[in-house]
Amino acid sequence: MKTNRRSFQSGRLLLNCFCILVYLFLLAPILVVVGASLNAGAFLTFPPQGLSLRWYVVFFNNDVFMKAIRTSLVIATIATCISGVIGSAATLFYARYAGAAREWVRIGLLAPLLLPEVLTAIALLFFFYAIGVGTQNMIALLVGHVLITLPFIFLNVSASLEGFDPAWELAAQSLGAGPWTRFRRITLPLIKPGVIGGCLFAFIISFDTFAISFMLKSVGTSTLPIQLFDYLRLNFTPEAAAVSTVSILLTLVVVIVTEKLLDLRIHRF
Amino acid sequence: MTPARANSKRWLLIAPAAILVGVFLVLPYLNIILISFRPPAQGAPYGAGYTLQNYGKFLSDSFYWLQLWNTIAIAFVTSALCLLVSYPVAWQLARGNTRMRGLYYGIVLSPLLVGIVIRSYGWTIILGNNGLINRSLRDIGWISAPLPLMYNTFGIVLALVHVFLPFMVLPIMGALQSVDPALESAARSLGASRTTIFRRVIFPLSMPGVQSGCILVFILAMSAYVTPALIGGMRVKTMPVTVVDTLIDAFQWPFGSAMALMLSLCGALIVIIFARLTRMKWA
Repeated sequence: MKTNRRSFQSGRLLLNCFCILVYLFLLAPILVVVGASLNAGAFLTFPPQGLSLRWYVVFFNNDVFMKAIRTSLVIATIATCISGVIGSAATLFYARYAGAAREWVRIGLLAPLLLPEVLTAIALLFFFYAIGVGTQNMIALLVGHVLITLPFIFLNVSASLEGFDPAWELAAQSLGAGPWTRFRRITLPLIKPGVIGGCLFAFIISFDTFAISFMLKSVGTSTLPIQLFDYLRLNFTPEAAAVSTVSILLTLVVVIVTEKLLDLRIHRF
Repeated sequence: MTPARANSKRWLLIAPAAILVGVFLVLPYLNIILISFRPPAQGAPYGAGYTLQNYGKFLSDSFYWLQLWNTIAIAFVTSALCLLVSYPVAWQLARGNTRMRGLYYGIVLSPLLVGIVIRSYGWTIILGNNGLINRSLRDIGWISAPLPLMYNTFGIVLALVHVFLPFMVLPIMGALQSVDPALESAARSLGASRTTIFRRVIFPLSMPGVQSGCILVFILAMSAYVTPALIGGMRVKTMPVTVVDTLIDAFQWPFGSAMALMLSLCGALIVIIFARLTRMKWA
């Protein structure tokens, strides 16, 4: 019994050590990028040669990157709003009225996540040319972003609807509440955490997505990941690390503000 | 309100999403299948009529077979490594009664909050010839020439494991959390050892999580573009990189579509076989 307990404890120690190594592995590239952005030297090296914020100054004076950040923020905001409304409505339908079509609704709403993103991007590119819209404006890009963020709204909202008892709505109805009042007073408060969590993920996914933006962007407009990718193919200055760090910080701010202001827990990736 | 009107209003809830998915996902996929049967043309994306020559070109060239094989192998090894690394982590997150749980959970989620371009870039800083590992080893004096950590399959797999690890940890963690602790006590009271409990009770019950994690990581790894493009460089190319080159640089829409569809078809086949082998319904 004693040796059994000892082997159990050493097993637990081994498990914890292993997990800490994995956490280091997960954090390593992120920490390295942030560290490299503080480099005082002209070349990308890690550990940095002296600390300085000079590459942030270069970056904030770089119109191309600043424009890309603005584009990314605008696209992510619009796509999240559209996807949030469309996706939440569809998820309500899925949870309550879909009936026999339930499985089909689920597959349809998850499809953009299950299909390879590169293939979806290519298919959309050809389609927008086939119908004559092309990629001269931002419509194609926006449609793509709404499409790939939709599954994240669905996953979050459907999770928040799991414990939803239709009896509450019936009770409200029998007390004389109309459909709009029922939605506003009963349904909306119940799905609110799911909607906000879903929108949070939708925003982050849209802000960071690559393949869809790469194929569907119009000439002259780039989102931040695309601009960064182009830059990385030719340049090795720490400016890219500064850009990346700002992008990471922006995402972090969005997450923290949403968490604190709206007091919710992320329950789905 | 009459029931019929109430019903028609219900359909309004799903209508926008249905139109979006129908028009901008189903139709484009049907369209790309059609394009893959078009003949190539000069100065236009594709010519008139239909042909099988794109598929013929793909299937008769060993260069593409080799690349397809490499892509599948990379995705397979990535999923296997992800599973090996993720299971203990998922276990700790699901069962460890540690105060650090929130922090650990945040670390597991953190890669999802950082774009894939940035994460791949981070790996180039670590793995490059002048990167963190090679410079440190040179400074200690263990090596004189840089180790080949990047621009090869090793680098791609390592970065892909990092990129997709959360997609394996989360489903397994979910499955482990839903295992009833009473089953474990029951097994123990019947005299089962810890290893036996794990092997006969807990692991089989965590299989749905293992299965969906493996499927998700495999699909994502097979169609990954950014990581192989940045880490593999010009030397190691996976199918998605070649597909994008063919479509964008070489402007060969029909052949590129055929390649992309062949890749997806192989991926789907492997996933179906895997789901059959693990004897579980595709969820």
